[in-house]
Amino acid sequence: MGIAGRCGAFALIGTVAALLAGCASEAPSPPVAAATPSISADALVGKWGLASYHRDTDRPRTVKEALAQCNKPVVINKGPNGGVMMYLADQPELQELVLKPGPDGKTFLGPPGDAGTADDRIVTNVEPSSFTTVWVDPDNAGRYGTMVYERCGKRA
Amino acid sequence: MRAYAAGFLRRLYINTAIAAAAVLGPSLFASAQQIDMNVVDQPGYVPSQEEEQLAGPYEKQLVFFRTTEAPGTVIIDSSQRFLYLVQPNNRAIRYGIGVGRQGFQWAGLEKISRKQEWPDWRPPPEMIERQPYLPRFMAGGPGNPLGARALYLGKTVYRIHGTNQPQTIGHAVSSGCFRLVNEDVIDLYDRVPVGTKVIIKQAVAL
Repeated sequence: MGIAGRCGAFALIGTVAALLAGCASEAPSPPVAAATPSISADALVGKWGLASYHRDTDRPRTVKEALAQCNKPVVINKGPNGGVMMYLADQPELQELVLKPGPDGKTFLGPPGDAGTADDRIVTNVEPSSFTTVWVDPDNAGRYGTMVYERCGKRA
Repeated sequence: MRAYAAGFLRRLYINTAIAAAAVLGPSLFASAQQIDMNVVDQPGYVPSQEEEQLAGPYEKQLVFFRTTEAPGTVIIDSSQRFLYLVQPNNRAIRYGIGVGRQGFQWAGLEKISRKQEWPDWRPPPEMIERQPYLPRFMAGGPGNPLGARALYLGKTVYRIHGTNQPQTIGHAVSSGCFRLVNEDVIDLYDRVPVGTKVIIKQAVAL
C-alpha cells in the first residue's frame, strides 16, 4: 500500500473514531419508567360481598345486596408476586391477577401481560370500602354484568 | 290369494309397529330423559329467539288430560318433564320443563305463595362452592338464570321459573326448581294466581 493509501486508511479510521466518539459522547437516554397503575393491589385485598347487575338502574339496590352477601364473602388475598388472588370468568381456580394501566387512564385487572385482553376487567369506582369491575370480553360482560364488591367488616 | 296374504302381512306389520310405539315410545322417551345434562348456570347468557323456540313434545300444547283435580290446578310430572295446567273438559295445557337433577328431585303438595317478574337470583351455597366465581346476588333481568318470572312454592326454597338456557328443557339439571322457557313461564304466570294448588309428582298416571 502506498503513502496515499495508508493516509486514506488512517483518514477513514479517524472518521470512524470521530463518529464513535461523537456517539460515545452523547448521554444515554434515561430508561422509560414503566407505567404504574393508579390503583394499588392492596386496595383490593380483603373480604368482600359480591353482587352484580346489568341495568344501571339496579346499581343502588345491588350495592345494598352486595353488603348483605358478607355471609358468603369473596376473599381476595395478596399474590406472591405483588398481584391479587382472584378468579377469572368461569374458572374455579384462583389465579394471580395484576393491575395494569391502560389507555384513557383505565386500570385493568387480569393475568400479567398486556392491558385490555379478553381475560381482563376494568376496575372502576375504587374506594376504601368498595370497587367495581366490568369484564373486557363482551361475552363475559353480558353474562356477569357489572360486578360490585363491598367490603365486609370494618368499613372506612 | 297371494295379494290377500301380502295385504294381511302389511296390515299386521303396521298394527304391530303402532302397538310397539304406543308401549315403548314413552319409555324410550323417558330413557332419553334420564341422562342428566352436565350443565352449569350461565348467568348473563341471553338466548336467541331460535334457541327459545321449543319443538316436539316440549312445545306448549293443549292435551287430553283426565284428572280429578279442579281446573286451574298445576300438576308436575318430573319423570316426563311436563307441567300440566288443568283445563275443563279433560284438557290441560302442557308445558315442557327442566327438573332437578339426580338427588335433587322431590314430590309434594304446595301452593303458589308469591309471584315475581324478572326475579333476582341468589345462587345457593352448594352452587357457589362449585362455581366460586359467581356473584352471590344478581339483579333480575335478561341473562338472569331465573328468567322472566318466578312462582314460589309455599315456604320451600323451590320455584317454577324461567331460564336463560332453553336447551335444558326436558332434562334434569337444576337444584330442585322447575324451569320453563321464558315465553312459557310468562304464559303460565299470567294464568295462575297466588294460592294455586301445585302437585309435584315423580310420575303422573294419565
